[in-house]
Amino acid sequence: MAALCVYLMALVVGVLSGSNYLVNILIVIALHSMAAMGLALLVGYAGQISLGHAAFYGLGAYGSALISTRIGVDPWLSSMTAATIVGLLGYAIGWVIFRVRGHHLAIATLAFGIVVSIAFVELRGLTGGANGLPGIAPFALGKWALNTDAKFACVAFLGCTLAYYAASRLVRSPAGLLLQAIAESERAAAAYGADVAALKRSVLGLSAAMAALAGALYAHYIGFISPQPFGTGFSIRLLLMVAIGGFQNLQGVLVGAAFITMITEPLQNLGYYDVVVFGLLLIGIVVFCPKGMLSELGKFVRWPPFRRRPRHMV
Amino acid sequence: MDQAIQLLLSGLVVGSIYGLVAIGFTGVYNVTGIVNFAQGDFAMLGGMIAAGLWAQGVALPLAILAGVAGAALASALLQRLGIRPLRGDLVAAVIVTIGAGIVFQGIAVVIWGTDAQTMPAFSGDKPLTIAGATIPMQTLWVIGTALLLVGLLTIFFQFTYAGRAFRACSVNPFAATLCGINGNTMATIAFILSGVLGAIAGIVSTPITLTNAEIGIPLAIKGFTACIVGGLGTASGAMLGGVLLGIAEAFAAGYVSSGFKNAIVFVILLGFLAFRPTGILGDLEKTVR
Repeated sequence: MAALCVYLMALVVGVLSGSNYLVNILIVIALHSMAAMGLALLVGYAGQISLGHAAFYGLGAYGSALISTRIGVDPWLSSMTAATIVGLLGYAIGWVIFRVRGHHLAIATLAFGIVVSIAFVELRGLTGGANGLPGIAPFALGKWALNTDAKFACVAFLGCTLAYYAASRLVRSPAGLLLQAIAESERAAAAYGADVAALKRSVLGLSAAMAALAGALYAHYIGFISPQPFGTGFSIRLLLMVAIGGFQNLQGVLVGAAFITMITEPLQNLGYYDVVVFGLLLIGIVVFCPKGMLSELGKFVRWPPFRRRPRHMV
Repeated sequence: MDQAIQLLLSGLVVGSIYGLVAIGFTGVYNVTGIVNFAQGDFAMLGGMIAAGLWAQGVALPLAILAGVAGAALASALLQRLGIRPLRGDLVAAVIVTIGAGIVFQGIAVVIWGTDAQTMPAFSGDKPLTIAGATIPMQTLWVIGTALLLVGLLTIFFQFTYAGRAFRACSVNPFAATLCGINGNTMATIAFILSGVLGAIAGIVSTPITLTNAEIGIPLAIKGFTACIVGGLGTASGAMLGGVLLGIAEAFAAGYVSSGFKNAIVFVILLGFLAFRPTGILGDLEKTVR
């Protein structure tokens, strides 16, 4: 809960000081960490890599935007519907995609992500193509539209807290323990009576639904969506958030999302060097901090340093 | 009919480039079991270094040699600094090679900018006319290089002691170590080999397709798709997959829509992953592992 409390305090400070910039960044952090927590369940706990998670985020955003603008449904209902549909879609994709594992899974999810982002551009009649989809209604409580950063921040915080709560409950439940067993050894988990294939599909579905819900919130917050933010770059950033968090650490994911979101802005000032810094960061963290940035920093505080168990994933 | 022949030939041109890139994956994969997502960036680095030096007035053969050496060095560095400390964690290895690809791309943009670069064709610019369709003369270089490399790699992996030692490291690294094979050295050599193969692919195809800093990741994905279609781990499978992929792509662009061209490639990839993950020529044992 510590990370969430720090986040809430930052949010209160941001709203009270009236700094739209700070509140805006905090909202984006909340939405990214919702999606990244879902990804952490899949990659960190169940040990199944995904390089196409931005697709689910984008499908949630486009789905909810289309349902609310075309059919005229209330945004609350449309975002829930979109998240449910994308969750079921994720579950269904699991039938195909989990026929392979390891590197093949990585490339299959990457291909899925690219196909979806091409579809966003090419299905012009539905998505508006590269020009995007404008005029998405904001959330409203009765007559009270949540159309300012400060008001929407409450929604984002609520969503993030719910995602954290749900994910942390799942991780400690019997099903969550079985997921971790799958990450260690699929055969051992199966021998223990786990329906490995069904569990993998379920966690992909849940993870997709969390990303889609975050995407739907994003669409109704910004009011305009285009295909550009939902590409492979975002999938890799989500994975980096999970990696910084330490893969099996939901609070760490919040830290990772905050870190990535905050460094993206100053890095842009470096021009093309930002890509180099970003890539080196990705390598550095995976090589030197396999348990996440926080736990490595924690080693300087704690003495003697605790021994890392070797991780066996894939 | 004329259009079909032209599409077939241009598919063959693009496909042989994909095949050439795909061959590069086999080196690292056959030794470490890692799929190197930075493979396309070796092709990019090789092509950019050679084209960049040529533009500075360096003789073409020297520029080509420098391109190959540069990519090999980058590849060796990636293995020593990024892959070796992971001790066989595959998810981490995927992330590290993606990160390395991003770094190489960034460095290339910083040095050469985002503009496309080119080199002269190796044997003149006169186009080749076959059955009313025209293709660039450089295509013969691409196909010839690809066939030569396929032959050499097949002989190397199947019949030489070093090649068998390479494959032993992939099948069972522990048993290979017990037999006196130094896994770390083998992995470094494999990365250098893949760097060299990638650079050759990038350099030979540059006169046809031009090159720029951002071609790495798309090339890697196409090359890997070719590997999956043909069968991961064998050079001949990679080449076959590349050619099939190029032809499928050309016909999709010609008869369906150029916008969906890339999507169709990935649909083929997903289909193969789902229903025949070993590819056309692949052996079952490796993919199931």
